[in-house]
Amino acid sequence: MSDIKFGITLYSFSTEYIHEKLDLEGVLRKARDMGYKGVEIIPAQMAPEYPYLSDEWINELKGLLDKYELEPICWSAYIDMGIRSDRDLTEEEIIQYTVNDMIYAKKAGFQMVRTQHAISPAIFRKMIPYCKQLDMKLTIEMHHPHHPEVEVWKEYFEIMKGEGKGYLGYVIDFSIYQTMPHQLYLNQALEFGCRPDKLEEIIALHQKKEDTSLKIAAAEQGDFNEIEKHTALEMFGKFSAPAKISQIKDTIDCCFYIHGKFYYLDNDDHDPCIPFEELMKELRDLGYKGYIASEYEGHHFDYTVDSEEQLRHFIALNTKLLEA
Amino acid sequence: MDFQAYNKIFICKDEIKNITVKDAVIGYEFKIKYPSYRGTFLSCIEALSFQVDGVEIPKEDVYFCLNNKQFLLDELKDCFKEYWFVRDKATIQVRKAGGISSGKHTVNAFLKHRVPYTGYFGEYLVLDSNVTETLVAE
Repeated sequence: MSDIKFGITLYSFSTEYIHEKLDLEGVLRKARDMGYKGVEIIPAQMAPEYPYLSDEWINELKGLLDKYELEPICWSAYIDMGIRSDRDLTEEEIIQYTVNDMIYAKKAGFQMVRTQHAISPAIFRKMIPYCKQLDMKLTIEMHHPHHPEVEVWKEYFEIMKGEGKGYLGYVIDFSIYQTMPHQLYLNQALEFGCRPDKLEEIIALHQKKEDTSLKIAAAEQGDFNEIEKHTALEMFGKFSAPAKISQIKDTIDCCFYIHGKFYYLDNDDHDPCIPFEELMKELRDLGYKGYIASEYEGHHFDYTVDSEEQLRHFIALNTKLLEA
Repeated sequence: MDFQAYNKIFICKDEIKNITVKDAVIGYEFKIKYPSYRGTFLSCIEALSFQVDGVEIPKEDVYFCLNNKQFLLDELKDCFKEYWFVRDKATIQVRKAGGISSGKHTVNAFLKHRVPYTGYFGEYLVLDSNVTETLVAE
């Protein structure tokens, strides 16, 4: 038995939410009906008053979480560095947004805010007193294209293990372990004008064990149309350098939450894109205690896929792996 | 390519309506939503333009209405405190004496928008949403 629990980010229901098939109450009811307990919300997505939230709306959210007996786990905040056309956000602005999110999250009953890499080590450190004052955890998501080798993360881990211990942490997003393009991506490539045989050729090239620069040269010189070249370069760029699962152990003590990211599953047994078998084994063996949020993200690529069915495959697959 | 499926919500299927003042028809309006999974700040809109029945609408004839306010297209880049909630429809008002004829019309909307949290290694992701729909005028 492990202490790992599966939760859900409401973001998984983006298709249903933006197409107005489910509203906030609808996605919460659906999460409850599917058997989930712990939930994550993205207020920039589901709070109509964002970024300045009233107590009235926060109480409405709290009421719905109570009604459906859901546990508020993670409040997902953004560092929208590029809001302005003339410059990036200043330190004061980043602090303002981040502290506001921590206050709203606290009021809504959440104990953790997820923020993003752009917060910077200096500001991250400055958040420690606010975390202590509000008794809140603040975490940075490690999301593709970032990975543990990116320089700034060394500094982040130092802060998390040092003066921010217990309050500052990180969220692993499984996107950093993706090795292959998913089916919805491939379908879209065909829809945008890739010829099927050429797409096969690109995938074969991607799977070759040779240097990425050689693959890029082959794609540029090959008999490919513009969209095929674009697809090849995107595929080699995105999926050629997955993070090492063996590195998780070095920072597992700072990992407060996990995004169980996935894009498309057509069965309960295996995903050719993200190595769930190795991930679940490693997390269980390391004694990770906490939530893995089911995070379906195929909605970027195809609005006709049923999110609930995707989530059911995810839970079946990973529950089997954890119990194996 | 990320974000592409969200273009399906960009142009709303609502009817095109003529705008009348007393007996005068001064223009028409239709609705759009922000094509993403979350909302954005209006200042992240880098370009927005429309064609109706293949004819480009001059930008000075377009008013962008959201949050109970009306904006010129040239004002959007400065609106860093205006948030476009992902389920809110913006009304696009087009000034045109006589309005639009009833029946089907082809509407094209083109949006260039910056995704403000994407600067992982410097540059922000700037997306194009270019969508054409057939809408019906009342």
